Amino acid sequence: MATVVPVEPYTGEWYPGFQPEFITSPYIIDGTGPFRKEDEDKFWFLDFHWSRGMTPLAAFAWGQDGYCWGTQHAAESLPLPPGRGITSRFAGTHLYGSAIPETDPREIGARANRLGTNLPRFLENYQSTWEAGRDELEATWGYFHGLDLTAVPTGDLAGLLGQARRYHQRSMEIHFGVMYPLLVNFLGFYGACAEMGINTADIGKFLQGEDTKIMETDRGLAELAKKAKAAGLRQVFEDNSGNAIRTALSAKGGSASQWLTDFDDFLQVYGHRQEATCDVGVPSWIEDNTIPLDMIKSFVLKDEDHDFEAAARNAMAEREAAVETARSGLTKEEQAVFDAGLRSNLEANFPWWQDDHNYYIDLKVMIPLRRVCQELADRVGAEDRNDMLYLFWPELQKVATGSTYDGGLKSLVKDRRQYFDHWGALRGQMPKVLGTVPETVEDPVLIEIFGLNPSAIRAVQNPNAAEETVLEGVAAAKGTARGIARVLQSSDDMHRLEPGSILVCESTSPSWTPAFGKIAGAACDGGGMLSHAAIVGREYGVPTVTAIGIATVAIKDGDEIEVDGTNGRVTILKRAADLAGA
Amino acid sequence: MQSVVWVDEVDLAQAVALAGSKMGRLTELHRAGVEVPQGFAVTVDAYRRHCTESGLDARIEEVISWLGSEPSDAAVEDASTRIRTLFEDTPMSDALAGEITEAYEELCLRAVDVNVPTAVRSSATGEDAADASFAGIFDTYLGVSGPQRVIDAVRACWGSLFTGRALAYRLRKGISHHAMPIAVGVIELIHARASGVAFSVHPVTGKPDRIVIETSWGWGEAIVQGLVNPDHVEVGKADGRLLKYDVAHKSVVSAFDFADGRVTEIDMPAKLADRKVLDDEQIAAIAAAVTAIEEHYGYPVDVEWVISRHRRAGDPVCIVQSRPVTVTAPVAAPAAYDPVALAQKFVFSGKPIPGR
Repeated sequence: MATVVPVEPYTGEWYPGFQPEFITSPYIIDGTGPFRKEDEDKFWFLDFHWSRGMTPLAAFAWGQDGYCWGTQHAAESLPLPPGRGITSRFAGTHLYGSAIPETDPREIGARANRLGTNLPRFLENYQSTWEAGRDELEATWGYFHGLDLTAVPTGDLAGLLGQARRYHQRSMEIHFGVMYPLLVNFLGFYGACAEMGINTADIGKFLQGEDTKIMETDRGLAELAKKAKAAGLRQVFEDNSGNAIRTALSAKGGSASQWLTDFDDFLQVYGHRQEATCDVGVPSWIEDNTIPLDMIKSFVLKDEDHDFEAAARNAMAEREAAVETARSGLTKEEQAVFDAGLRSNLEANFPWWQDDHNYYIDLKVMIPLRRVCQELADRVGAEDRNDMLYLFWPELQKVATGSTYDGGLKSLVKDRRQYFDHWGALRGQMPKVLGTVPETVEDPVLIEIFGLNPSAIRAVQNPNAAEETVLEGVAAAKGTARGIARVLQSSDDMHRLEPGSILVCESTSPSWTPAFGKIAGAACDGGGMLSHAAIVGREYGVPTVTAIGIATVAIKDGDEIEVDGTNGRVTILKRAADLAGA
Repeated sequence: MQSVVWVDEVDLAQAVALAGSKMGRLTELHRAGVEVPQGFAVTVDAYRRHCTESGLDARIEEVISWLGSEPSDAAVEDASTRIRTLFEDTPMSDALAGEITEAYEELCLRAVDVNVPTAVRSSATGEDAADASFAGIFDTYLGVSGPQRVIDAVRACWGSLFTGRALAYRLRKGISHHAMPIAVGVIELIHARASGVAFSVHPVTGKPDRIVIETSWGWGEAIVQGLVNPDHVEVGKADGRLLKYDVAHKSVVSAFDFADGRVTEIDMPAKLADRKVLDDEQIAAIAAAVTAIEEHYGYPVDVEWVISRHRRAGDPVCIVQSRPVTVTAPVAAPAAYDPVALAQKFVFSGKPIPGR
């Protein structure tokens, strides 16, 4: 028996006049929540990662623990001299982000000094730092994966929810702790290259061609497609879509059953993946086979197998040629700077990490929380396993600690589902920015990940954005393509893409990859030259323009458009309305 | 007191005082082993004597005294016109005219030519700073041949000391009009195949690790006056490697008009307009000359150079002018890759990253 020394004698009043909120001082500078009037003084941008909108639990978990905690923690530990990370607000179910500036010159100076010590140290130790973080997260992931939730006593579920939340929070500390310094190094190198007169469209190429976990997954899917064709299953894929493919294969039996076994083995390795960044509201590939089966289907239906090795070789050859071209225009002194910068950026390769970390963090980090929520829903007799995703954290805690999930909460969840659907339908009309719009931003994540360069910031303020017919953006993948625009809200709509059409969306994530085997071009609101669309566009030779700001506003579904990925321009040639009338 | 001194003969210590800074520097370059054209200067003393002995000084003073301390632009222009007319109307003494004729004939002999065409250039005195602010405002006549035309061109150069801009500058600065006398250079006009300017640092960014060359066909006037968009060439200073060659569409050329007896600007022949002006050997020769001149002076320079029709591969290019470069933003050569400094400069500066 442990000895207990009671604290009770000291739990009464403290100093006269003390109130608990006097010492409320969270580590994070600013947490999430709905918009308030005073938020109008700041600059808010609509975050393309969550185009579906977010459920209450997703909004809280990501908005608070991911966005706010992760970025603000990392902005302190690096630190960013003039910035203290990012905060978030919700307009309905839609997430807006905003950088938190540091304006005190003395504080900025002190932070700059710390950056001077910490950034070189990080770059020297990048490999071991990232690997240690990754291994820590993989170990925690392994712990959750090894749990048989159905065997866990109900009384332990509240604790597990807390652990799952902390796992996500810790993931985001590591995520942004690596992302910020990598980006700062990359953007400094980018600026140096631009100043030395290097064609900035080539800078992404210097760092391309390294294999990532996401590419490994794509190869696995293509391999399964080959096996399906070899087993004579092409027709099944041609006749069905999504989960119906699985049903049809099961019914067929024989070689189809064997194929399904291979598919399930594949999923055990690569299927712990949601098609959304840190969104507890979205199922994993294992939970719902639609996305991987449709991806395999698109590989099966292609007449020629995508040659991943040739693509990798081309990427490497293109990289070497780009480096050679850049170096030839530099003086000896500049070459020394360029070579050292390139070496530093190849060793701590931001574009590579940007793809690879999605496998280890973004695409699976919410699965433990989601699974515990679903288990809890089963235990408390919810009609839908996903009901808990419509609760806020204290409500969820209450249900988990024995409060009944009854009429009151149930009807709230019903109303919230309607609210979610209502706002989801409004996504296309959400303003791209809110509040007070600046000319330029300093947070590295805003610059590179969101493509908030001065031209994009100007574009989103254009009151006539919907009528614009010539749009400027970042030249992300070279070449020119014409076709009919398909304006998609999320990868859920990917089935609407026809061969030769042009994808128009807020931004792409790894799940859009198969689309690039089909489309003629791509135009995105957000993203820079290293965004997923840019990387995949280059790999598949699909002309792509990113960071347009208003692509999904100006371009209407069915418009005939031209994407000039060499010069970063999209032109609307004929409006859908006129095409229909013709 | 000498009225005429030769570029290759004058005492170096006296060269600038006698021949003005432009001609004085040619002497210095010549002594340093740089290829410069043959020529002589009509000295500062010759100018002074001309002004005193002919009574010009008094007449100039009279015009200027009407101006008062804060004259209008129009009044200054009017005074300028009057003074320049005085210069045109005042003949040179027979003695000086004789010395110039003698020197010109010596120049013909040296060039083994009859009526050799010359460049007659104003060569002002004063500090480099004043020199820089007067850059290009005193007259230059290209293609002047025959002794009488040379003498007239010298008098016209003298008069150009009293352009409206020069007058206004001296009035503003309170400098006496006698404190800045002028010499005039008479140098053999190199028959230019191509010419241009070259900088031992980048003239805009100030980067010291490269030589920047701008060039076009024919004489350099069209480039210096900004009438033609020249080919732009950059060469690494450390290893002489060609970094960049941008061929421009060159629509105007300074060419010798034989009927008119002078260099003048005409439309560039279509076949030459988009053609690359310099080959690698010529670029290397220009870079070598600029590097040698910068090393000689110990500070960044810009030069005007000419490639003669008669030049062969391996010959040096001819330098017709050199002066300290005026750079708006001098920078140090990049020393090393410094991610912290670059982050402060490009990410946390409150300015957009270049190229975005």
